[in-house]
Amino acid sequence: MDRLSIEKRLDGQKELLSGLVKKAKSNGIDQVEIYSSYGYSEDVSLEKNDLNNCTATEENMFGIRVIAEGNQGFIISNHIPSLYQSIEEAYSLAKSQSTPDFDLGLPEPESIPNHFNQYDLSLDTMGIEDLVATAKEALGWRNDLYSKVNIDSGDFSLSKGYKLIVSSKGVMAHELGAELSASVMGMGVDGDLVGSFDYDSASGFNKDQFHTLWKKAFTNFGDKCMGALYAKPISGFQGKVLLPPEAVYSFFLGLFIGSLNGTSLRKGKSKMAGKLEEKVASSLLSIWDDPTNERFMGSTGFDREGLPTSKKPILTEGVLHTYFYNTYEAKKAGLIKSNGCATGGAQSLPGCGPKQLQIAPGSSSKEEFFKLPGKTLFVNRISGTKDGASGDFSGVIKGGYVLENGEKIPVREVQIVGNAFDTLNQIEAISKEGELLGESSFVPYMLLDGFTITGVTEN
Amino acid sequence: MRNLLKECLAEESGFVELRYHHKESRSFHAERGRVESTALRKRTGIGVRVLEAGTWGFASTSEITKSSIQNAIQVAKKAARLSSALRKDKIPNLPKANFAIGDFIGKGIEDFRTRTVEEKLKLVLDIQNAAAKQSAKLQSVGCGYSEIYEEKAIVTTDGADSFFSMVRPEFRVSAVAKEDGKMESGSHSIGVTGGWDCLFRSQSATEISEEACKTAVDLLSSVLPDGGLSTVILSPSIVGLLVHEAIGHTVEADFVLSGSVAQGKIGQRVGSDLVTLCDSGFSEYYEGAGGSIPVDDEGLLPTNTVIIKNGILTSYLHNRETAERFGVAPTGSARAWEYGDVPLIRMRNTFLVPGDSSLEEMIANTKDGYYLDGAKNGQADATGEFMFAVQKAYRIQNGKITDLLKGVTVSGLAFDVLQNVDMVSKEFKWDLGSGHCGKGQPAKVDAGGPYVRTKVLLGGK
Repeated sequence: MDRLSIEKRLDGQKELLSGLVKKAKSNGIDQVEIYSSYGYSEDVSLEKNDLNNCTATEENMFGIRVIAEGNQGFIISNHIPSLYQSIEEAYSLAKSQSTPDFDLGLPEPESIPNHFNQYDLSLDTMGIEDLVATAKEALGWRNDLYSKVNIDSGDFSLSKGYKLIVSSKGVMAHELGAELSASVMGMGVDGDLVGSFDYDSASGFNKDQFHTLWKKAFTNFGDKCMGALYAKPISGFQGKVLLPPEAVYSFFLGLFIGSLNGTSLRKGKSKMAGKLEEKVASSLLSIWDDPTNERFMGSTGFDREGLPTSKKPILTEGVLHTYFYNTYEAKKAGLIKSNGCATGGAQSLPGCGPKQLQIAPGSSSKEEFFKLPGKTLFVNRISGTKDGASGDFSGVIKGGYVLENGEKIPVREVQIVGNAFDTLNQIEAISKEGELLGESSFVPYMLLDGFTITGVTEN
Repeated sequence: MRNLLKECLAEESGFVELRYHHKESRSFHAERGRVESTALRKRTGIGVRVLEAGTWGFASTSEITKSSIQNAIQVAKKAARLSSALRKDKIPNLPKANFAIGDFIGKGIEDFRTRTVEEKLKLVLDIQNAAAKQSAKLQSVGCGYSEIYEEKAIVTTDGADSFFSMVRPEFRVSAVAKEDGKMESGSHSIGVTGGWDCLFRSQSATEISEEACKTAVDLLSSVLPDGGLSTVILSPSIVGLLVHEAIGHTVEADFVLSGSVAQGKIGQRVGSDLVTLCDSGFSEYYEGAGGSIPVDDEGLLPTNTVIIKNGILTSYLHNRETAERFGVAPTGSARAWEYGDVPLIRMRNTFLVPGDSSLEEMIANTKDGYYLDGAKNGQADATGEFMFAVQKAYRIQNGKITDLLKGVTVSGLAFDVLQNVDMVSKEFKWDLGSGHCGKGQPAKVDAGGPYVRTKVLLGGK
């Protein structure tokens, strides 16, 4: 599958979907939106330190949204010949409801200033043979450098495709994309000793970029597995935790960002309601959303509703500036239009959220965090649970260390409990250095204070 | 469909497996006095798996025509040949298997087809409206009904030839309560394999809703428990999470071969005498367990697999490939989520066999501990270290349940926790039929058991 054939398919589909929308309108179905997501991918998987499977998949999914008399019906299908019947089914689903809300409506089109066709021609000629070669190289790294690390599973993928949105209001937007990605999951094993699971991944939009990032990710994975292999239980203590970028993003930040979702706010489930332009976090913390940076993977010119995206501040030195809205939630909040923050794809109704979060670097050196006096818990990953409404989180630390007197002591069977909203004010320092997660979001290290750390051994 | 698939295989000589899968998911959600979303998802296609030159190849197509399927077979074969040179440990021949032959039509499908969209919408709306009136502290109550109907046909060149269908409805309520700036949430859900009547057999929709709302409101006045190693009595939903996360994942044979903590432990003691653990494609004790399957995704009839018998590890969970490697019979545990997914070894219904005690005796016999109820999420590790999250923890002091505390994360080492089991109740319940298990791809599973007393690490203040 090359760029030309994908473009040809896209052109044909624009025509097909426009025709279907026109037909629906002429039959009295006034508000129809079709979101098409096409992907062709080739994958090579690893299992048990060996190659496992080679696959080739191709699929076109369509998310069809119909709004009729204040009610909405949504159909997801991968069957092109019956798309018009799906429009009728979505219409019928909408008509069967008895609780209309006339704030529901498809958005009017807006011009899209940024177009991101992230399809690099270096991926055009690549295929499954290249993926097999990359997999072979990774198995070689494992054998040469990390013989005590067992690869439980791994995946190498080359995917190409497009997204396209067409609506009866005149919205029409599309973007092409191609991506190379790889991930690996496994653990250290030494005789009867088994370490915690760990994983790492890399992705890129061109061949050279991908290979550099993948080698770094694999080395990181191997080091983390080896570090966790000789972990020991510890006794509990009160103190500081150090979060690397992945942990900052996946756990601590997720709850806060979720609380800025227009739907959560409207339903009274967000602790951030009514806090615009108030200080809600440490002055050290500044966050913005930037889906318009061409250097980032996943940058996009339009959102799930086909409206333009933009760069916007979220927190500046702890002061909250914005919430995230799709068209419906914006209207419910009394705004004229959305702020281009509709999330999702063909398989979901438009949600609300950011596209590419960026966290401002701090002024501390990451290395200083590892040499702090007293005890600090380095949280590689939290396997746990979190509650969006209360902000409470708790979990087991995976691949973690206690940092004490310049030593890194790998630990297991350690839990932490906290609250994401309180944690925003527990930030003691942010590092200058950070990582570009998924090649799209810059996230630094964070040092937090005031945590209860539960261990399994007696004090 | 079986005939079309067999026609596509007519000229094939090596191992080829064709899996037709049509899946329809409907979901209805009501909140704040109105139907907030209705969705229907339809996905159909064929997954093609071949074993050639000692390596798997896989391809899929959403076009159900002879030419598309035959093209996918060729793509899968090419993929297998390409990778064969690299694969070190070639896949042996697949073992003989207890293939499912014929049609297997699931229970409750007629029920699911005859109930109208309006009836399902009315259910979520009525329950939501009633729930919101339960307490002035309730900020928001969401009520959802969903159902997955699926049909599959599996045909292989070595003898599988079946068509099967099933329906899996779910009902869930989630509530958020607020007081003095504090917010807490509660949720309760139920999911089965079967019809509507099966879904509401043990609890009505109203009772489910009342439980979720009460949890949210009650938790407003709760505090965190003390953290540390504690004696706990686990409710059947929590036992389900424990046996699924802590043990089930470690005995999946693909995971065992990668070096899980269960490797090499067949025949060894891994739990107390009171522990007998099974994973079954059927629904033991009573019908409707959410992970029941008439046929697995390699076309085999599933078994009831005894994993631990009176504390001794007796079996892993196998697909055809791992069964051959271990020299045992496949357990019918291969499952794929969608037509484009390769079948993986997955649990079905995982349960602990009931014992002789009663819950009342167990509480009365506990001087200092916690009663944990309301399963949330959970995960397991290669080390056997697991975590699961609970909604509610009740303090037990001197044989009596006292304060409600916030549920937190509970963790431990799988086999240590089983070794510490010292009381098991007579009562039994399937209680994990809603939601999904993740392992690269989702799977519908269920789990449950009796009430169990053991020791775990409780996160807390």
